[in-house]
Amino acid sequence: MASEQPLLEVDNLKVDFHTPTGIVRAVRGLSFTLGRERLGIVGESGSGKSMTGRAILDLIPHPGVVSAERMRFRGQDLTAMDKGNRRKLRGRHISMVMQDPKFSLNPVETVGSQIAEAYRIHRKAGPREARERSLAMLEQVQIREPARVYDLYPHEVSGGMGQRVMIAMMLIAEPEVLIADEPTSALDVTVQLQILKILDDLVTERGMGLIFISHDLHLVQSFCDRVIVMYGGKVMETLPATELADPSARSRRHPYTLGLLECLPDLDHPRAKLATLNRDPAWLA
Amino acid sequence: MSDTSSPGLHAWLISDSPESRRQARLGQLYRQWLAFKRNPMAVAGLAIIVLLLLIAAFAPVIAPFDPIAQALDKRLLPPSATNWFGTDALGRDIFSRIVYGTRITLVIVLLVVVTVGPFGLLIGAISGYYGGWVDRLLMRITDVFLAFPRLVLALAFVAALGPGIVNAIIAIAITTWPPYARVARAETMVIRNQDYIAAMRLQGASQARIIWKHVVPMCMSSLIVRTTFDMAGIILTAAGLGFLGLGAQPPMPEWGAMISAGREQIFDQWWVATFPGVAICIVALGFNLLGDGLRDVMDAR
Amino acid sequence: MTNAAISVDKLNVSFGDSHVVKDLSFEVRKGESYGLVGESGSGKSTVLRVLSGLNREWSGAVAIEGAVQPKVRDKAFYRNVQMVFQDPYGSLHPKKTVDDTLAEPLAIHGLDNAEARIGKALSDVGLPASFRFRYPHQLSGGQRQRVAIARALVLEPSILLLDEPTSALDVSIQAEVLNLLAALRQERKLTYILVSHDLSVVGHMCERLLVMQFGRAVEEMTVETLAARQPHTAYAQQLLTASAGFRRAG
Repeated sequence: MASEQPLLEVDNLKVDFHTPTGIVRAVRGLSFTLGRERLGIVGESGSGKSMTGRAILDLIPHPGVVSAERMRFRGQDLTAMDKGNRRKLRGRHISMVMQDPKFSLNPVETVGSQIAEAYRIHRKAGPREARERSLAMLEQVQIREPARVYDLYPHEVSGGMGQRVMIAMMLIAEPEVLIADEPTSALDVTVQLQILKILDDLVTERGMGLIFISHDLHLVQSFCDRVIVMYGGKVMETLPATELADPSARSRRHPYTLGLLECLPDLDHPRAKLATLNRDPAWLA
Repeated sequence: MSDTSSPGLHAWLISDSPESRRQARLGQLYRQWLAFKRNPMAVAGLAIIVLLLLIAAFAPVIAPFDPIAQALDKRLLPPSATNWFGTDALGRDIFSRIVYGTRITLVIVLLVVVTVGPFGLLIGAISGYYGGWVDRLLMRITDVFLAFPRLVLALAFVAALGPGIVNAIIAIAITTWPPYARVARAETMVIRNQDYIAAMRLQGASQARIIWKHVVPMCMSSLIVRTTFDMAGIILTAAGLGFLGLGAQPPMPEWGAMISAGREQIFDQWWVATFPGVAICIVALGFNLLGDGLRDVMDAR
Repeated sequence: MTNAAISVDKLNVSFGDSHVVKDLSFEVRKGESYGLVGESGSGKSTVLRVLSGLNREWSGAVAIEGAVQPKVRDKAFYRNVQMVFQDPYGSLHPKKTVDDTLAEPLAIHGLDNAEARIGKALSDVGLPASFRFRYPHQLSGGQRQRVAIARALVLEPSILLLDEPTSALDVSIQAEVLNLLAALRQERKLTYILVSHDLSVVGHMCERLLVMQFGRAVEEMTVETLAARQPHTAYAQQLLTASAGFRRAG
């Protein structure tokens, strides 16, 4: 990872929303690099974690303005690129999986044809090849009867299967970077683990870079290599995931990270009263 | 209250911690007004409607002539300094007639809206909340009314009741309520499954109380918006009935009837039919713009 | 029997063809906090809706404080049993102020002294009096959930049904709301049924819990068994393992 060029380099990323009541700073100065690894971004609602993912894909809605000193994908300067080229990058090289498959799939088309279409948009392929690739992809995300599932409509599949379909659709063009925004929070725990397993295999086997955006500290610490902790649009700290779980490293943690860890109920350390988080205005200074 | 731009009042209205029910309500309205003000087209629509109200209120002051006084020596005069919009076949000043016509238009619109809005809302809310056979019965009745084109049904009613402005209003009201019931029903079917309605049931609230105090207020905004959009249609239907001689009867200066009276001279004395037509257009446009603005404000939570 | 706040015997619920609760029986003691745990489709929320009277299509027997409950509950029932919903954005009427929301149950039950009761309800859930005339859109998720708890408590019930009360909240806010619920329970000797998919939340809040799957009871256990990770059934064990987080094979 160290020797080769990073997949993504982001320097001082900012997302501002110009609303009638003033400027809302959703992301204020975020820097990171992504290699072929699992990078977690954790934070509470309003921390700017989702906006970060969208800013990289150029998917910030209207009153939002993205600026960055540097934003490169494999050496290509994203800030200098026009909208058309950013769009070509999207899906083909950088993809995104969102929280709820129900809202991300077209309800009037079969899931298979949606995956095949995604393939044909990015690779000039005939319908037969697209179908075969889609079936193979469904198999890869561990769907048992790909041929049957191919012809189902989104409302006919369960939440977990819908999310697998989404992942299949996002990965069929074999992107180098996948941004997963809370990909498992709408799912049951047992299903959640199966989805994570799929994502994990894709990173290891294909050497993909994964940005895993989540509110769940436990999940991120058990799944990711490195973790960025965000609060109010700012990075509180960046650390190896193993250090999050390590009790001896606790004293070195940022008070916000520590606060988040402390207020989680824990089966092994029952307490009469949970610790609550005291937000220090200085963190956002 | 005299100085609405004073900073103290503004702060009081947009306060995040109002101290009374009244302040909270007013603050909510004020915030909606601020949002409304940002839409220039909506403000233009509001201005047209306010102008219409002012003209109706001060018609005797504004109109230079008696709207029904005939002057047969001044028949079909073109627009001039004395008769701004010219005169009609009976020598009446068209400008004065249009000015007085605002009153008739407003009365029609208001009477239709106050009868139709609450009625449609109640039918729709009851139908949507209870579902089952209540819903089926009420909606089939609604369908019967919906099945006919509005003007045709209104024509049939007026033909049965006899021509006249009051009967025209009744006929328009009878033909206007079904879409309101539909809208209210659709809204209610979404609202009744919300947790806040379940919470009210868990407080032991009666069904009448839930419908009236909790479902109806949620339907209000879409119905108000629908009403403003409908105003234009109501005016046009009234004008249509007037045009066919089934609405306002002579010598009432109703705009539709005026166009109808001018149709024989449309090529030689264009002003007779044109000015009331333009008046109808402007007012219809005003209500539509207003409706657009209100929709943006009221749908935003 | 006299000691049971809630007892459910052979409860069955069907929606059309799907049988969502099957022969479920359990008992909750007075003053106890009891957890219902399971994944989606386990029927745990349906059980709450039956207990609260929101769902009227069921068979079996439900008794609250010894009294067998009919399908349609009377007004007095709701003085004793209240519920808090999962989604704080859906459970408050968007056009009603906090004051309206809290005044409504008092008006329904004809309780006097509304002013004082509303003020006390707000301070009990830790909201400042200045929030009284705010609309829901002026409140954060955690504040909304506090209002929902205040609404449930303003009638002074003895049983509170909690349907995933913190799963829509951030963890730091979750801690505050859980602390509030724990303190209120102790103060008022309340009985809780807490429905949750989160074992650590149930472990923190409850004394006993019932694991459900596909509408059936899988295993009833104490929190000690849960903390020791020694359930008897494979499914409960699987849930426990899954909630411990991701584990890379090999």
